[in-house]
Order: sequence, then structure tokens, then C-alpha cells
Amino acid sequence: MTADTHVAWGASTSVLQVAAIALGGLVLVGLMRRVRARLEGRVGPPILQPLLDVRKLFRKERLRPDQASWIFPFAPVVLIATVAVAAGIAPLITVRPALGTGADLFVLVYLLLSGSTLLALAGMDAGTAFGGMGSSRAVTIGALAEPALLVTILALSMSAHSSNLPEIVRSTLAAPGTVVSPARLFALASLLVVIVAESGRLPVDNPSTHLELTMIHEAMILEYAGPDLALVTVGEAMRMALLLCVFVNLLAPWGIATSMTPLAALVGLVSLGAKVALVGVVMAGAEVFMAKLRLFRLPELLAGAFVLALLGVVSGTVLS
Amino acid sequence: MTAGNFVVIGAAIGLSAGVCGATLPRSSRVIAAAVLVWTACALEAIAAIHVLAGGHPISLHSSELLPITGVDVVLTPLGAFFVLLVAVVAVPATLHGIGYACHGLDSRLAAGALPIFITVMLLVPAAGSVATFMVLWELMALLSLCLVLADHARSEAARSAGTWYAVLTHTGASLILVSFLVVAAHANGQSFTALHATHLSPGLRSLVFLLAVVGFGSKAGMVPLHVWLPKAHPEAPSPVSALMSGAMIALGVYGIILVGDVVLGSGPIWWWLVVLAFGAVSALYGSLHAASSADLKRLLAYSTTDNVGLVLLAIGASGLFDATGHLQLAAVAMVAALVLLLNHAVFKAALFLSAGSVQVAAGTRDLDRLGGLLRRMPQTGAMFLVAAAAVCALPPLNGFVGEWLLFQSLLHGAGLGSTAGDVAIPLAVAALALTAGLTVVAFVKAAGIGFLGRPRTAGAASAVEVPLTMRVAVGLLVAGCVVLGVVPTLVFPAVERATRSALPKISALSLSNGVRLQLGDLRGVLEPTALAVALVVAVAGINILRRGLVHRPAPRLAEPWGCGRELQTARMQYTATSFAEPVQRVFIDVLRPVQDVDVTHAAESRYFVDAVTYRSTVDDGIERALYRPVIRAVRRWGLAARRLQPGSVHRYLAYGLGALVLTLIALSVAR
Amino acid sequence: MTSSVYASTLGLSAALVLLCAVVTLWRRSLGAIVKVLAVQGAALACVALAIGFHEHDVGLEVIAVLVLGAKGVVVPTLITRVVRHDPTSRESQPLVNVPASLVAAGALVFLSFAATRSVTALEPTTAGRLIPFGVAAMLVGFFALATRRKAVSQIVGLLLVDNGVALVAFLATAGVPVIVELGASLDVLLAVVVLRVLATQMRAHVGSLDLDQLAELHD
Repeated sequence: MTADTHVAWGASTSVLQVAAIALGGLVLVGLMRRVRARLEGRVGPPILQPLLDVRKLFRKERLRPDQASWIFPFAPVVLIATVAVAAGIAPLITVRPALGTGADLFVLVYLLLSGSTLLALAGMDAGTAFGGMGSSRAVTIGALAEPALLVTILALSMSAHSSNLPEIVRSTLAAPGTVVSPARLFALASLLVVIVAESGRLPVDNPSTHLELTMIHEAMILEYAGPDLALVTVGEAMRMALLLCVFVNLLAPWGIATSMTPLAALVGLVSLGAKVALVGVVMAGAEVFMAKLRLFRLPELLAGAFVLALLGVVSGTVLS
Repeated sequence: MTAGNFVVIGAAIGLSAGVCGATLPRSSRVIAAAVLVWTACALEAIAAIHVLAGGHPISLHSSELLPITGVDVVLTPLGAFFVLLVAVVAVPATLHGIGYACHGLDSRLAAGALPIFITVMLLVPAAGSVATFMVLWELMALLSLCLVLADHARSEAARSAGTWYAVLTHTGASLILVSFLVVAAHANGQSFTALHATHLSPGLRSLVFLLAVVGFGSKAGMVPLHVWLPKAHPEAPSPVSALMSGAMIALGVYGIILVGDVVLGSGPIWWWLVVLAFGAVSALYGSLHAASSADLKRLLAYSTTDNVGLVLLAIGASGLFDATGHLQLAAVAMVAALVLLLNHAVFKAALFLSAGSVQVAAGTRDLDRLGGLLRRMPQTGAMFLVAAAAVCALPPLNGFVGEWLLFQSLLHGAGLGSTAGDVAIPLAVAALALTAGLTVVAFVKAAGIGFLGRPRTAGAASAVEVPLTMRVAVGLLVAGCVVLGVVPTLVFPAVERATRSALPKISALSLSNGVRLQLGDLRGVLEPTALAVALVVAVAGINILRRGLVHRPAPRLAEPWGCGRELQTARMQYTATSFAEPVQRVFIDVLRPVQDVDVTHAAESRYFVDAVTYRSTVDDGIERALYRPVIRAVRRWGLAARRLQPGSVHRYLAYGLGALVLTLIALSVAR
Repeated sequence: MTSSVYASTLGLSAALVLLCAVVTLWRRSLGAIVKVLAVQGAALACVALAIGFHEHDVGLEVIAVLVLGAKGVVVPTLITRVVRHDPTSRESQPLVNVPASLVAAGALVFLSFAATRSVTALEPTTAGRLIPFGVAAMLVGFFALATRRKAVSQIVGLLLVDNGVALVAFLATAGVPVIVELGASLDVLLAVVVLRVLATQMRAHVGSLDLDQLAELHD
């Protein structure tokens, strides 16, 4: 196979991955809302409602707080751009996306961190009380989640001797036993807690609340309206979808395209969709039984995730 | 002209800059000194680049300059790297100083001391023997002390900062001197090569190493010897803070590498675990205090401690891998340390200089009195934001490359089989991660409170953009942040050469492959350039898409939502203190903030409140617990010693006689 | 049983024993803590069963069933009854707060891992390499004993220590003799019975199950 086909395959699958994350993210949000509504005995909005909401928001007038600077409209763009780059290089549908050699887990984490840092800055740009409150809480949670996240990466990389995500996925496919090793399971449990914290789901943050004093993420983006809000919504949905995709591909990578044929890509896409939908449904179902934790109980949750990650590292060292 | 001449002429021009600064009239002295300093920096940099390109050290000896020992200059590739680092900070700092001059830098003392300080810093890494090194080191300490005290007439805080700095830096220097003397006593000569050839007992070697770590650590701002940083950095003029934080602190780290790796040639595992532990504690403590400081320059000072902690973490890891026989990993960790140092010099200098610009424009560096500066100082504000993003290690800026290298070296070092390493490395990763997270808190706070939102005081509201020279100075450094982040491979040949000179056991080292970083046989690849291009393309693409989707491009400005209140005031915004409150509450056992609430009731009834004042201060716990008792004890001894000095001449003469008699008795008994 | 299935079953069960020990520090509700204890008992039984199958040791399989009965069912049921009678069944104010406890647990795990390095080097079998998990579970149990206030938490801590010791015993020697295991289990059962009596007495005299209140009897 020539280098050109590699490049063409990488580029086309990367574009496919970004598109899948962009559309799939909103559908996933709709699906999770729907599942939750059903379990709570409501009918709930249609699954495609978030897409319709975004279309509506794009048609509205652009509003901007009078004190805001260029950071305010810039942040949502960066949020989407970083998630899109991460989605383009991560092995979601294929193990050989474009720039896959650079798809280090550390790189992915820091790409996503850039988007959320800019959003936190934008929260303070309007010069209101709520924005600062949301930003302050969001960055604090981010800081506390960081140790769990990086130690998790350490635990995940130990079996493949690399933190390169395609390499980890490939080594898992070659040795399926690693999935049920304690090291991998501890690390994935920790990763799940971190994903919940980073994407602002229950029990860390309640995405459906608008009560000023308890909200975190919604407080930060309170001043966004119209097309800017649409971008933030899309970006957030993409980020959650990407995190869950990475999670399922670490948990069960089967179905991902290892050969470079259109059929394999299609199988990869469908299996990824099915796996993420399953995890999303389970998460939404679990959320029905959860209450939001008090803000100052969150360190306990994140310390727990950190200890899980440490247990993953120790198990990896003991059993290697 | 040989490369050695460049070193000598550069030094001479640097010294003449000092003379110009001290003698010329006020109108021209700063500019003349700056131009001469740039020439000196350029000449020294040429010599350094020559050494890094060829790999052969420059050696000079002069027996006239210093009595008895003479002066030895040996510029190794490791030293040359540090010379370049100093020059990279010194040029923008002096350029910024031209605009900053009327804020404490244009007195004869300051204008004369600054160029000599820079020259001495350029020469410290080129010192080839103990005597030369110690003379230069002490000169550096004294001149920086003069510069910290530049504003002493106006500020009590500056005087106190000067005292703290003087005591700590001289304690450090005396420890370094003892450390060198112990080796030199057994060595055949006092040059570093002679010291390296000495055979010492393991106990003595450990003593030498520990003394050097503590001594150089006090200069590098390592916890618990960091207490001078948050005092001296805020009080010194900003270009001086930038030099001290970016360059002088790096020389403290140079000292640790010099003694640990070059003179002693590495050692047992526990040495490096000690360095690793000091690094982890410094990083965590520094970032935690940075996250809870409300003074912009104090925040930057604590962030310096945090960054030095990460560098020490990398050096400790490097030594650990070296001691367990993993040379490739040791080299990667050392490269990480040097890259982290270089990046720190660039972004921290940019931040200190921007903080200086803010102080000039808004008249304060207290974040709780700033706000909205990005709209008033668009260029300085944007540059501060980029530099802050670089500290937070956001890709594609330079901070990210350093942290990636450090993380990769730790990652590949985990699970190698030595118990100490297997336990230490996951904990080091955890420390690195928490530090990174808290750094983001600190700098989102600094940028968000200081530069976004509404101005909190009249000073901030009336701030205007600073003069062009100050913007260009910061701009040079910020451009450095971007270039070192997007194409880090540019500096890798130099860094690799310096690493091989620090760890001579490594025969070949090549981590850069075109624009891609590749860690030799280890599986780790970073594509910074491709990543940056992808990000730029994505941002541009989304902007175009948005233009296409949104039909009315001009946004309407509207009042933000105020919970039903009509008027939004600046006082309703979160302040730096309130922003840091969640972090403070989580780490309350470490930070121990002091909080008072005063409620003034109305005269008529206790049920009505006139005013509520809330104060929350976080002082340095280590200063309180470790230094205050020592200071109290010294003061008690001092008071007790006063009784020996009643003022009577006869008593003093009697002391002399007594001492003489005692000495004679001791001599006769000993014989 | 193939060796890879054996290895992963054993690894997962031993890891679950340790995880349960850590989770007891994480949760505050005493009811939940007792449930976690039951899970730990079951995981311990799993370890014994896996080793029993692998070594074709019928005695060990019998012990596994006994362990499941005693530690997975009987003891948790007994403690649940104590908890049910206590209206404030939460460990609301431990001596060391929960995040710090969790970080300390992480440190203890590393300590046990470092300390058993020489033992695991002596016995590099599949089971032998898991010994650090048992030691860690024991240390975490000790930590719970030292920092938790409620009488029920104390007994849970004691049981954690016991389970940790049992895990080490299974892993290191492929099971202690039946009689020793029975003796140890009886001891623990006795302790649980004592706890029940103590709890009943405490409630009658002091009105709560908080151990710190016993200090007031001193005056």
C-alpha cells in the first residue's frame, strides 16, 4: 500500500470522525434526555430536538454583553476547534486516522483543556457575578480531576508502553485479555468519573438546572445567546461524545476499522454509534437515581477517582 | 577573532554599560546602557552558539584579574545553553526597562547595577573553577539585592523583602561554598574538571550533594527556601523581576546540575529521590499559593516556585533513571528539564513584564482593583493572555512541549522494576497533574479578573496602552512562546548538546525528526507543528462556517442579566479572592486562610446592618511555621547579647584580654 | 480452567477485595459500608474458589463456601441488624476527612506494594504476585479502625483487617489449614457478637454508637 492511500484514508476517515462527533454529539444528548424522561414517566422531547434547537438558535439575533471583549465570541470557536482536532486524530472509527502518530492521550487531554479554559475566561468576560462563579467552580473541578486523569493515562499506557491512543487500541485488539485486567478496569472506572465531571453530568453538575447558586457550567455560559450559544451547545455535546467514544474504544475496541476499506469504516461507524449509545443510555438511566452532590463533596468523588487510578497503576505494576 | 574573544569583549562591554548607567545624565543613561547590554548579550550568545554548534568548550585563564587563584572561564555546552537563556530574557527585559525607567530604574544605582547584574549572569555559567564561580555568584547576589532595593525609599515592603532575600541568598551561598570546599580540599586544584576527578568517600559525596541542593535550591526558589520569592519579586521593578525569575532562578538549577551530574557524576538513587520530593513539594505548594494570591506579581512569584518544582522533578527523574541504568530515559528527562527551564524563562519574563506594564498603566498590581484591561490595553492584554496560556501548558504553545516531555519520561519510567521508581513515579505524575490543574486556576484568575469584565477602580478604568518599547519587549517574548511551541525542534539540537554535556555517559541523542519529536526507541511521538496547523485550520474553518450560518454578523450589545436588577456594577463581579475561594476551601488544611467578618449594626436597631467587611488573607504557612520561630529565637539571643555591651571601654578591653588569655591557656594545654 | 482465565479471575477478585476496602473509606452511610463488606467477603470466597479449582484442592473449595457463608452472608447480616437499630447510621464526621482518607489509602497501597516487593520476588506465581493487594486491604482496614468514630465502623475495620490477612494467607500458601481458618473466623464471629452486645449496652446507657462519647464515662 502506498503512502498516498494512507494519507487519503487518514484524511477521509478523520473528516468522517469529526462529522460523526458533531452530529452524533447532539443526537446523543437528545437520546439521553429522552431515556431520562421515559424513566421518569414523561414522554420527553424527540431525540433530534437538540439539532432543532441549534438550528433555531442560529437564526436568532446575535447579542453580546456590553463589557465583553473578543474573548467572548472567540471561546466557543476554540472550544469546537479543539474538540474537532481531537476527534480528527483520535482512533474512533479507524485505528489509522490522520495524524494518528500524534494522537497521544496527553495531547487529547490538553486539547480539551484549552477549550474549557477559554470558556472559563469567557464566563468572566461579561463582568457579572454568575460568570465568575461558574468559571471559578469549573476550573476548580478541572484542577481536582486532573490528577485522576493523568494517573489514569499512566495506568492505561503501561500495557502498551505508550500513551499513543491508536497504539493502545491496537495492543488491546491484539491481546483482548488486557481489557479484563484489574489495571484496565480500575483505570476505566476512574476515567468514567472524570468524564462525568468534565462533561458536567450528574452527580457533579445538573445540566438541566438553572438555579443560580447551584449551577456550575450553566452559570459560566449564562450570557451566551443566539448563534454563540448554538456554538457552545454544539461544542459541549461534541466534547461529551468524544470523551465517551474514547472511553468505549478503550473498554471494547472491537468493530473499529483495522483495514482500509470503506466497508470497514462503515462497520466502525455503526459499531461506535451502537457502543456509545449503549453507554449513554446506561448513564442516563443511572442519573435518574442520583442527586447532585454538594459542591464541597466533589473533592471526595474526585479523590476516589484518583485512588482508583493509583490502584490501576499498582495493579499494572504488580501484574506486569 | 576566536570565540573566546567574544566572551571577553562581551563581558567588557557589559561592564562598560554599567559604568555608562551610573555616570551619564538621567535622560540618556538607561538607553545607552540598554544598547551596550544588547551588544554584550549578542557577543556572549555568539560564543554560546559556537560552543553548542561545535561541541567543544571554550577555555580561558587569566591570572591577573583575581589574586592567588586567577580567573578560569570554561564555557561547556551545558553552560552555553544557560548563557543563551540569560540573553533571551535580558534583551527584552532591558528594552522594557526603557519605558519602565521612571518607575524606579533610572537612579544611578539601579541604572548602573542592572547591566552589571546581566553581565555577571551571562558569565556565571561560564565559570570554570570554584573561585571564579563563587566571586561571580556573590556579585550576582549583591547586585540583585541592590535592584530589589531600588525602590526602598518609598516602600517599607521593599526593605523587608531585601532583608529576607539577603539572608536567604547568603545562607545559600555559604552552603554552596562549604560544599565546594569539601570537594576542593580533596582535589588536585580547584577547577571543576579537577573536582570531577576527585575520589571522595560516599558519605562526603552525599554531604556535598545535599549542601549544594539546599544552597542552590535557595536561589532557585525551592520550597522551603522559597520565602524570599513572593516578597522580592513583587517589590523589585518589573524588568528586574523578569530577570530574577526567568534567568537567575535558572542559574540555581544550573548549580544543582553542575554539582550533581558534572562534578559528582551522579550518585545513589536516594539523592535523586530527595530532589524529586523537593520538586514535587515545590510544584504543589507553589501552584496552590499561586491559585490563592490576589497580587498579580505575588501570584507570578509563586508560579515561579511551581515551575522550578517541575524542573527539579525532571532533574530528579533524570538522576533516578541514570542511577538505575536507563540512560535513554535519563536523557529524555534532562531534555525535559532544560526545555521546561527555557520555556519558563520565556513565558514568565513575558508575564512579569506585562505585569509591569499593567502597574504602569493602572497604578496597581492588586487583581481586586483591576479589571477590563483587555479593552483598554488590547495588545498588552492579548499578549498576557497568550503567555498565560503558555504557562497553563495549552497547545500549541511552548509550555505544552515541556510538560509533554516530562510526562513521557515519567510514563516510560513507570514499571521498570526498581521499587523506588515504581512508587515515586506515579506520585510524581500525580503531583505534575495537580500542579497543572492549579496553574490553570491561577492563570484563569489572573487573566479573567485582571483583564476581563468591568474595571473595578478608576485607575483601571483610565488605563491606556503602554509605550511601544514596552509592547515590543513583551511581544518578542510572546513570539518566542509561539515559535517554541509550534516548532520546538528548532532548539532541540542545542538542548541535546547541553544534555550530553550534563550526562557524558550518553553517546548519541536525537529526539527531533524534522518538525516531529520522537523519543528514540521509546514509543512517544509529538507532532507540534501539525497540531498547530490543524488547530489554526479548524478555528478558521469554524469561523467561515459561522459566517455562512449567521445572517446578521454585527452583534447587538446588551446589558448582561443581573438577576432582575437593572444596573450592573463592577462590585457585583467575582473578585480574585472569591474566585480562589473554592480552592482555598478544598485545601484549607494546607493554606489555613485567616478570615474576619466585621458587621457594623445600625445605631437604631441591631436588626439592621450598616456595613459588613470581610477580609481573607493567606500567608505563607512555611514562613509562619519554619522561619518565624527562628527569627524569634535569634531576636531573643540578640537581646540577651546586649547585656555584654554596656558601653564601658574598660569592659571591652577586658574582653580582649580575656580572649587572649584563654587562647594562650588553650594553646599551652593542647601542647 | 485455562491459566489465563485463572489469572484474570484471581487478579480481578483480589483487586475487588482491595477496592471494597477503599470504598468503605469513601462511603459515609453505614448500611452501604456493610454491603461493601459483604461484597468483599464474596470476592474473598472467589479467590479461594479459584485457587481451589486451579490446585484441585477440595479442602480449599470447602473453605471458599464457608467463607462465602460467614463473611459474605452471616457477619454482614448481623451487623446490618445493629445498623438498623441506630437512627443516625452515618459516619458523618470521621477523624480524618474523606478526601484525605482516600489519598492516605492510595499512599498505603503504595507502601504495601513497596514493602512486599521482596516477598513477591520470592514467590513469582500468579497468586504470589497478588500479595500486595491483601497487605493493602489490611492496612486500609487498620486505617479505618484508627480514624472512624462509630462502633460499627470499628468492627468493619477489624473485618477488613481480617479479610486482608485471609487474602494474604490464600495467596501465599494456597490456603491455611481448615482448622486455623475456622478458628480465625470464629474469633471474628465472636467479635461481632461482642459488638452486638456492646452496641445494645451503649445505646441503653449512652444513647448513641459514637465511640468518642465513651470517653465521657471516664469522668
